[in-house]
Amino acid sequence: MQSIADERTDLSVAAQLNYLTAQNAVFRKTDGNMLAVQVGDEDFQGVYLHCSFPHTNRRIYISVRTGEHKEVGIIKALDEDFPPETAVLLEEQMDIRYFAPVITKVISIKEEFGYSYWNTETSAGHCQFTVRSGSGNVKSVTENKLLVIDVDGNRFVIENVKQLSEKEYRMVEMCI
Amino acid sequence: MKGVPMNQKLKAEVLSVLQQVKASDVVYWMHCDRSKDGKGFASTYLILTSVALHIVSSTEGQITQKIFKGIQRTPKETPRTTTYQFVESILLHSIEKISIVNLVASGLVVIHEQEERAIGAFTNGEMARAAKLASFVTKLKNQEEIRQDEIEDHSEQASCPKCGMIYPEEGRQICPKCMKKHAIFGRLLSIAGGYKRLIVLIVLFMLLNSASGLVIPYLQGTVLFDQALNNTGAFAGQIGLVIVLILAFRTISLGFGVVFSMLNAKLAANVAFDLKASVFESMQRLSLNFFQKKQTGQLMTRVNNDATELQYFFVDGISFFIVNAMNIIGITTVMLIMDWKLTLICFIPIPIVILLMRWVFPKLWRLSWRRHRRVSIMNALISDSIRGTRVVKAFGKERQESERFQRANHNFSDAEQSFNLMGSTIFPILNMLTQIGGILIWAFGGWKVMSGEISFGQIMTFVSYIYMLYGPIQFMNNIVNWWSYCMTAAQRIFEIQDAVPEVAEQPDAIHLERMKGEIHVSNMTFGYEPNKPVLQNVTFRAKPGQMIGVVGHSGAGKSTLVNLISRLYDVTDGEIRIDGHNVRSLSISSMRSQIGIVSQEVYVFMGTIAENIAYADPDCTMEDIIHAAKIANAHDFITKLPDGYDTIVGTGGHNLSGGEKQRISIARAVLHNPRILILDEATASLDTETELQIQEALESLVEGRTTIAIAHRLSTLRNADYLLVMDSGKVVEEGTHEQLFARGGMYAGMVKKHDEALKMREVV
Repeated sequence: MQSIADERTDLSVAAQLNYLTAQNAVFRKTDGNMLAVQVGDEDFQGVYLHCSFPHTNRRIYISVRTGEHKEVGIIKALDEDFPPETAVLLEEQMDIRYFAPVITKVISIKEEFGYSYWNTETSAGHCQFTVRSGSGNVKSVTENKLLVIDVDGNRFVIENVKQLSEKEYRMVEMCI
Repeated sequence: MKGVPMNQKLKAEVLSVLQQVKASDVVYWMHCDRSKDGKGFASTYLILTSVALHIVSSTEGQITQKIFKGIQRTPKETPRTTTYQFVESILLHSIEKISIVNLVASGLVVIHEQEERAIGAFTNGEMARAAKLASFVTKLKNQEEIRQDEIEDHSEQASCPKCGMIYPEEGRQICPKCMKKHAIFGRLLSIAGGYKRLIVLIVLFMLLNSASGLVIPYLQGTVLFDQALNNTGAFAGQIGLVIVLILAFRTISLGFGVVFSMLNAKLAANVAFDLKASVFESMQRLSLNFFQKKQTGQLMTRVNNDATELQYFFVDGISFFIVNAMNIIGITTVMLIMDWKLTLICFIPIPIVILLMRWVFPKLWRLSWRRHRRVSIMNALISDSIRGTRVVKAFGKERQESERFQRANHNFSDAEQSFNLMGSTIFPILNMLTQIGGILIWAFGGWKVMSGEISFGQIMTFVSYIYMLYGPIQFMNNIVNWWSYCMTAAQRIFEIQDAVPEVAEQPDAIHLERMKGEIHVSNMTFGYEPNKPVLQNVTFRAKPGQMIGVVGHSGAGKSTLVNLISRLYDVTDGEIRIDGHNVRSLSISSMRSQIGIVSQEVYVFMGTIAENIAYADPDCTMEDIIHAAKIANAHDFITKLPDGYDTIVGTGGHNLSGGEKQRISIARAVLHNPRILILDEATASLDTETELQIQEALESLVEGRTTIAIAHRLSTLRNADYLLVMDSGKVVEEGTHEQLFARGGMYAGMVKKHDEALKMREVV
């Protein structure tokens, strides 16, 4: 067994990931409010952040990509590898990409003819939207987090179903 | 529905902010409903004129109320008035490029001047318009013409003309609210019209069945006790006759019941047959896109379950509704005539029973839904684990799988227990309440008997009638649920029947008897979804009889290209011409009869090998079938089979290997004898030897026909006259093998890799 363990390739070496840290990458906001990053001598204008784990933990393994989907590098842990001011800047960019109002109150859900009509209060204000029943449009993405996708593909999130009132849960449960 | 030019819909208060711009100057506009900082909603308009892109934004910044597609504003709600302000005008010549960035469920409009900048953010519903805006900006910059039909939109924002509700789904012009009230029921009844005679007969026999049943309690109560046993009235002392009458009515009632059941069974089978046939036929009419949007399982559910659900409407619904309604009216009338006071007393528990049902049934339904969901999860887990047994064993994860199952099992068990607990509590209570009606009659009736107001027999009759009443009342109470089930199923079925094929034939379509096989693709762009083009600006020409090879990595858009040539989809922009005619103007039948596809995905239908080969022309001779099989190199393996060409294949039949299936599909194409042949990775999944055999078959097939061949293995394309190299939806190189190899670009690289791989194989 020992010999096998010794021969095992180090995954991180094999994967050849380019980790970005405060030492090798400088993020900045351009005049046009876009995100840019300088990695070594190279300057990338208009980069976007793709979270590897958007539901479980947004702040780790963030892939930094250009508009053409080329990976510039990966941020392993935002809070450990970058100072707080960069973290704030990147967080703002993540909010732009993963815009999904958080449902804070379910006022009513009316189900009719294969669609459920949701009336909710969210972190972005009062939202009313239509969800097609079945086909996994209301699904648990973590143990307690629920993702709701409307007929246009817009996303809404219930951060913790356990924190819903019993009445709210009863309405939501029928759509899962 | 006819589209309305976009500039007519732009709000006046938005346009008024732009003093220099008249409504007629607006080429296109879009609404950016998200704030650019990702925090919430906003209201910004991007208004395109022939010289500039103007930005107008609401003065209040963040919008705190958002109504998405499918929600109807109630008439009481007045739309909030928003005031707008001018933000900026960007001259088109200063815009280097405009692009739409796809975010998760939303998008950004980004312009490139000296530096990139986002000028608007929008939610997914606006994606199609954003893509159009970007395309129009580019066209105006390049001084290209924008056609009116590009500006007009036929499906966006389509809303119900009756109630104004936005249709919940694009391309699905069905308003669930209005359908509920008028269309569905009317249409269902019109279908029922076909079975009018049968339904009338069923209702008649059901009524006779209940009418004869209604006599029995009267005979058993009033006649038996008050007259025969009490020795008074018409039947005084004639116990035997009364017993015979009871037996006779029971038999008559049973007889009518049997006839009605037989008729009902006939109706059920006929309705199910007709509905399934009609849905299946409607589905065949539709374009490939429809099938790819819906999951196969969902479609099968539609054909089967929805048709069954509607069968209930005809079989159980209409007739039971009529009969139960008649029963309620009949029994109540008889009881009221006999003694109206006693009738009212025994109705006392009914409202309580109905209220209890209304209160409890939704809870019970929720618990049953939870149980259903958990059992589905458990079943999925079992199937998942069994199908993945090899992996489970290989990784030694049996214990982990057991634990995973135990969790699901536990969850299901909990749900099952709560459901059973509620069920076993509530049903006895309901039962007891229904019994109370009878007890009340005994109590008040007994007192009345003592005071000599009514007879004992009348009470017996009453008790029997009250029990006969609960069944129909329960039916009526469930009718709302039943109604909504039926209407949902009907709506889904009608939706398929009403769906318009996306690839539709023009009314004056040209029918080409014999194609020469000239293909001209110019500036073609196509995407399955807005702003996600799979093909961009593809242009090429194939002369009659030429073989065009298409190479490229997976996902380069090769298969999409050939699907468009055979018009399984319509192009988004640009055009495809065959023999000088735009494919949109050709009849579907001339396209299908003269374009043949052999793809990697081969499918054999249930039936014999001969039937499978003769699929395109079932009337062909046996000789034709054998010739086709011979050309396709399939004849030898077929004759080796014990049942030869009569071997049953497909689901449940003889298992053919991949190569054998592929050769049958080639034989099918040979027999089809198309003028244009499309080979879509026809040999990709086969071993080298089988591939060689099939290559030979293909070589004889392509002779004299225009052929478009897609292949991973470049050796397959050695006979191609011209090659297209595709990457990310674009043709990046084109020319003959020699020209492309000499250029030293992507094709040369692919050839080198291919050769290395072959050498490796030799070494191995």
